[in-house]
Amino acid sequence: MLLAPSGAWAQFGHPLKGQWSGQWGPSDNPKRLLLDLHWDGKDITGVVNPGEEAAAVKSVTFDYSNPSAWKVKFTAEGKDKSGKPVAISVDGTLENIGAYNKLFHGTWVEGGQKGDFTLTRN
Amino acid sequence: MSRVLRTALTGAAAVIVFSGTAWIVAAQSRPGDAPTLQAQGRGGGRGRDAGPALPTPRLPDGTVNFGRIPGEKGVWAVPYITNMAMRVVGDDGQLLPAIQQTQNAARGAGAGGRGAGGGGGGRGGSKSEPWMPWMPWSAAVYDYNSKNESKYDPEGYCLPPGGPRMMATPYQMEIIQQPEHKRIMMIFEGATHIWREIYMDGRSFPEGDALNPTYLGYSVGKWDGDTLVVENKGFNENSWLDYFGHPHTDQMQVIERWTRPNKSTLHYQATVTDPGAYTRPFTIAWDIPWREDGELPEYICQENNRYLHRLEDDFGQPIFGPRPQPGQKPSTGTR
Repeated sequence: MLLAPSGAWAQFGHPLKGQWSGQWGPSDNPKRLLLDLHWDGKDITGVVNPGEEAAAVKSVTFDYSNPSAWKVKFTAEGKDKSGKPVAISVDGTLENIGAYNKLFHGTWVEGGQKGDFTLTRN
Repeated sequence: MSRVLRTALTGAAAVIVFSGTAWIVAAQSRPGDAPTLQAQGRGGGRGRDAGPALPTPRLPDGTVNFGRIPGEKGVWAVPYITNMAMRVVGDDGQLLPAIQQTQNAARGAGAGGRGAGGGGGGRGGSKSEPWMPWMPWSAAVYDYNSKNESKYDPEGYCLPPGGPRMMATPYQMEIIQQPEHKRIMMIFEGATHIWREIYMDGRSFPEGDALNPTYLGYSVGKWDGDTLVVENKGFNENSWLDYFGHPHTDQMQVIERWTRPNKSTLHYQATVTDPGAYTRPFTIAWDIPWREDGELPEYICQENNRYLHRLEDDFGQPIFGPRPQPGQKPSTGTR
């Protein structure tokens, strides 16, 4: 029997590294989220929503008190389509760390708006 | 029963299938996990009761022969090393004193398993291995893998071990030297029937995207006297360093040093440098005994691997196969 796994396999480097997709905001009007994060051995870097409205990820911090649910905070800065600066603040929890479908969720603040976010690793 | 059960230890973790017969290669929590190099028979791997060690075989040109003597059988019986942190050696090639003390304490306690600070291979997490040059995240990942008893071990999915774990996965292995082709092949029974090619032609490593990340990396070797020195780069991040779940990144580089001090012993040493996961390099070492009558049998890990069908993530959802429908009870636990 040849197994055809539906879940594929995980990436076992830094758990926050990689591409993430999801949404934030109210459920009736969610906003798309894409994260592309890298780990260079010192810092997590990357962008939120790569493209015209990309925001560069800055100052990522971790709290590993619970090995199964890491607390992660970061900020990001970018510009909207009109060129106006946009500041993003994220306070979340990273779970399902060992599995392929890692989950990152919490509170997303962007441009004066605040809402819940959910991201799963692609 | 056509096979011999090589390892049956407590705390099952990965089910591996041999030609339709399931064997459990399990985690262990006992003091014997990390014997000293001497206790493993360094310098006489065939066993101290087997008489004087036979001399190191050599090829016609005088190069050390890491394989069979023509007309004979034989394979390397790779040991099962679940926790590489218990095999870290110092500059003198001997186990770190801290590891020896941990082993002695575990033996003195009569158990050395869980709750004993990780002595002898127990699951004490990163704090039980203070000699490891942890980064905060790698310690946290290791603690996570310890807490869930390595249920996400990629080898349990039948994925190949990466890097030095090839030499710690308990199946048989052959080394075939082809000096005329300036390469050395290593063929592994286990680990998804995988092989390594070590380039001995003095080439440089590919650069940039040409160095495609793989489980085993890109290997370039050279001789340093009777020592085969192999430099490895270009690892992907789809593997763990060992069953206990020491993580690594794609920044990992490994320098291996192989010697055959006598016919029956292969001595393996690997220096792991991974600035993405560890603050400084560390070196691990162990002996691999020669099995004189051995040959490589067929072994298909993927065949009938039922472990996958029972594996659930941290939310109780099956990792492989269909997810339960609303109202349907998830399958049973991970073991």
